[in-house]
Amino acid sequence: MSDKRILVWDLPTRLFHWLLVAALLGAVITGQLGGGLIEWHGRFGLAIVGLVVFRLVWGFAGSTYARFAHFFPTPARVKAYLAGRWRGEGHNPLGALSVFALILLLTAQVLTGLFANDDITYVGPLFDLVDKALSNRLTGLHHRLSNLLIALVVLHIAAIAFYGHFRKKKLLKPMVTGWKSQAEAAGESARGGSLPAFVLAVLIAGAAVYGASGAWLPEPAPVPAVETPNW
Amino acid sequence: MKSALLLALLATSLVAGTAVAEVKPEEAIKYRQSGYGFMAWNMGRIKTNVEGGNFNKDEVVKAANAIQAIANSGMGALYLPGTDKGTGWEKTRAKPEMWTEKEKLGKAAMAFNKEANEMAKVAASGDAAAIGSQLGKLGGTCKGCHDDFKIKN
Repeated sequence: MSDKRILVWDLPTRLFHWLLVAALLGAVITGQLGGGLIEWHGRFGLAIVGLVVFRLVWGFAGSTYARFAHFFPTPARVKAYLAGRWRGEGHNPLGALSVFALILLLTAQVLTGLFANDDITYVGPLFDLVDKALSNRLTGLHHRLSNLLIALVVLHIAAIAFYGHFRKKKLLKPMVTGWKSQAEAAGESARGGSLPAFVLAVLIAGAAVYGASGAWLPEPAPVPAVETPNW
Repeated sequence: MKSALLLALLATSLVAGTAVAEVKPEEAIKYRQSGYGFMAWNMGRIKTNVEGGNFNKDEVVKAANAIQAIANSGMGALYLPGTDKGTGWEKTRAKPEMWTEKEKLGKAAMAFNKEANEMAKVAASGDAAAIGSQLGKLGGTCKGCHDDFKIKN
C-alpha cells in the first residue's frame, strides 16, 4: 500500500525544479541558435532570475528538505557520506554540493547576462548601467560560464542515472510526485513551507524579476524633433 | 546576388594585390573596426524601427543599404597577415583562426553577405514584419562569425 510513504519534495520545490528545467533548456537553445531568438534568450533569462530568487527564499522558508540548513554540505557531512556513514533524507551531502554549485552558477550566469551585449543588436536589460568595456567583459564571462553550467547539468543527470542504476535509488520519481515509499525513506515527511511563506517567496521573486527587467530605468529623454539633414 | 558573390570572390582573390598592400596594419584594423561599428549603428536603426511602433521605411532602407554596401566592400582584404595582433581604435578581437581556417571563415562571411543582400531587398519592400524577421536572420550570420572568430573578453 502506498499510505506508508513520506513527502520529500514539496510542491513549490518541484514546480521550481521543472520550470527551471524548461527555462534553462529554452535559454540554452535560444542562446546557441541566436538570430532573432536572442530576444527569447533574454526572456528565459529573466524567468530564471525569478526561479533562482524563489529558490533562495524557499531555502529558508520552505519545508524541511528544501531548506539550505538541512542539506548544507559541511566538510563533516561530506566526509561521513563518503565513508558511508551518512543517513538522512533529501539531498545527500555530495548532491548538496552540486545543488549549491548549480544555484551559484545560475546566479552568476543571470547576473552577467543582465549586463551583456552580443555586438549585434541585443543588449541585456541592465546594459545601460555599465559601460561597453565592462559589458564586454561580463559577456565573455557569460559565455565561459555557460559551458561550465551545461557540464554541471550533465553531471547532475548522470548522477541520477548512476544512483538509479547502481544504487537502486529512484531519485526522479520523488521530484515528480513529491513522495517516497517508506521502505526507501530514511526520515519523516517534510514539514513547513506554508502558503504565506510561498506567497512571500513568489512576491520577492517577482520583485527581483522587475528589478532585473530594467523596467524601472528612466526612459531615455525624448528625442527633440530636430530636422534630420537629408545627407 | 550572383554579382555580389562574384564581387566578393574577386575581392578575396585580389588580397595579394598591390592596392591592399599599401594599408598599414594599424590602419587595416581601424578600418575593420569602423566597418563593424558603422554596421552596428545601422543594425540598431533597423531594430528601433521595427520595434518602436513608429516604423519609417526610408530609415530602414538607408540602414539596410549601408549594411549591404559594407558587406560587399571586400572587407576580407583588411585581414592582413599578422593583424591578428595589434591595436586599431582598440585592441583587435580577431582570433588567429581567421588566418588558419579560411574555408570555414569564408563560409561564415558569405552567409552574412547573402543575408545582408536579402536585408536590402526586404527593406525595400517596406514590410515591417518581414524586415524584423530578416534582421534576426542577418544577426544570426553575425553570430556565425563571432562564435568562432571573435575573441571573447
